Amino acid sequence: MKLLGWRQILLALAGFGLIVAALLIAGAVPAEAIQTVVERALTRPAGWRNIIKEATPLLLLGCSVFIALKVGLFNIGADGQFVIGAVCSAVVALNVPAPINIPLAILAGIVGGCLWAYPVGLIKAYRGGHEVITTIMLNNIAGFLTFYLVSGALKDPNSQQPSTAYISDLSKLPNIIESGPLRINIAIIIAFFVVIATWFFLKKTTVGYEIAATGENPNVAKFSGINVNRIMIRTMTASGGIAGLAGALQVLAYEHRFYGNFSPGYGFDALGVALLAGGNPLGILASGTLFATIAESTNVLSRTGVPKGLSFILLGVLVIVFAAFRYRKEANRGSDS
Amino acid sequence: MDQILNLLASTSGISVTTLILSTLAYSSPLILCALGGLFSERSGVINIGLEGKMLAAACATAFVGAASQNAVVGLSAGIGIAIVLSLLHWILTQVYQIDHIISGMGINALALGGTSLVSKTFVELGGKDAAIFPREIYYLAAWVAAAGIWYLFRSTRPGLRIFAVGNDPDKSRQMGLKPLRIRLQSLLMTGVLTGLAGALIATNAGRFSDEMTSGRGYIALAALILGGWKPWPTLLAALAFGFFGSLQLILQGRDLGGLAVPGEFWQALPYLITLIALAGMLGKNRAPAGLGQP
Repeated sequence: MKLLGWRQILLALAGFGLIVAALLIAGAVPAEAIQTVVERALTRPAGWRNIIKEATPLLLLGCSVFIALKVGLFNIGADGQFVIGAVCSAVVALNVPAPINIPLAILAGIVGGCLWAYPVGLIKAYRGGHEVITTIMLNNIAGFLTFYLVSGALKDPNSQQPSTAYISDLSKLPNIIESGPLRINIAIIIAFFVVIATWFFLKKTTVGYEIAATGENPNVAKFSGINVNRIMIRTMTASGGIAGLAGALQVLAYEHRFYGNFSPGYGFDALGVALLAGGNPLGILASGTLFATIAESTNVLSRTGVPKGLSFILLGVLVIVFAAFRYRKEANRGSDS
Repeated sequence: MDQILNLLASTSGISVTTLILSTLAYSSPLILCALGGLFSERSGVINIGLEGKMLAAACATAFVGAASQNAVVGLSAGIGIAIVLSLLHWILTQVYQIDHIISGMGINALALGGTSLVSKTFVELGGKDAAIFPREIYYLAAWVAAAGIWYLFRSTRPGLRIFAVGNDPDKSRQMGLKPLRIRLQSLLMTGVLTGLAGALIATNAGRFSDEMTSGRGYIALAALILGGWKPWPTLLAALAFGFFGSLQLILQGRDLGGLAVPGEFWQALPYLITLIALAGMLGKNRAPAGLGQP
């Protein structure tokens, strides 16, 4: 069997055609659009700053989805865990005195994310409820719950929008580099190390091996003495914790407050980042950066009048085409052995 | 329930007729969409792309209906685009063997991006009123569809085949059934029904606006699960969600004495109930056994 079948090539071509068609419908000339992206997003420090900012949650949420995927669970709920982590973190950052509230706020975000993901693993392990359905429900509940909180109990009385007050300057995570428009926050370093830690954890530890074994084949894992239910529940909880961390960093490093509809749809991006990473967690560094670059590119394009809907089409095509290729590779591996 | 209705009537002058009409308007798209999902999932294809199909159908119905000033053309376009996306889901999951969840999410993304692209590009057309069918036709279609599906799965050969393929694709293959073809037919029906659902949403609102389905595809999915993948219980669940949805709309901004329940609670209620059902507190989960299998 060849690695590239005609079907996969056909799908890739169709996807490419769809993107070009979308550009044309939007009234943009593809060559000009590329030039705009290169000039305004890829070669300017301000563009790099935005890409780094965008990459922080994507790297972390990518890790979150990746770990769950390893144990065989689709964490569509990274979005909800992110939002819950963010609101928990904002509450702590606003109500605890400044020096010690940063670590506590980060911790609150992680715990919030864990708690929001724990029932998912539980329902999957003991009731057989599909995790995708559970997480879709929890995402929506998280959205309404936080919107309710932030337009009521947590609302800043001086704000017109459903939003908390801004956290104090001392509660913000610092920038490590500030030169002109280029700013690099310590959050991206944390995200980087979480990716490395995820790699180490999955590839070099016994628990990581048990997670992979459970994901490959739960029945075989069970017979070799792995407590499959426990592994599933704990991995899902950890996955939620990382998503919660992403929410906390978003508040402490970039947004400096929590507001209604906090996530711009990171759940789908996170799934894409994790899938495109392939089998290796370190791939998240590449796929996360790619998604962040796409987000910034479509942002830049939207300022020249190309609607932002383009980014969803781009990401949708990317994920679908990549999934078609990746499955085929795995099918080949199966037929070789 | 009587108490709430009485309270409503006495404090704010809301008649029961208003409530029934608003429940019908709110629940009919849910019923149509959930029944569309029923076809797909009964044949073994997980479908979290209901939202996207409905959104695309709403967009096509509104814009083509406005451009052509012909209700038949508008509705056909709506159903047509939903069928196209449904067939894309079939190709991706059955021919390319992509995971059903990834394909569903991808299709949702394409629909979200595509519809927003169209509405931002054809702004003028979006402001025009579309030619539409009276919504009562859709209400009727929802109930007729439920009855039809009930009959189909209860006592006809095609219905039982869909059922068999969804429960155990391997065995049904050995019995000489062709899961690929049966799923194609099922997903065609999913396209038709989600197309009707989207067209109704556009009809109710009069014109298209970005993300106008606002998660109702997921509420329909919730109704399908709560209804145990059976037509009448699914319809009932969607009806109940529609009732609470319209109750929430009516109660918004009104003072009801002791009944100070926030609107967000009513909005989250369908998801909460479904979550409780998934946790097994409302009986066992009865998903089709072969869901997601090749």
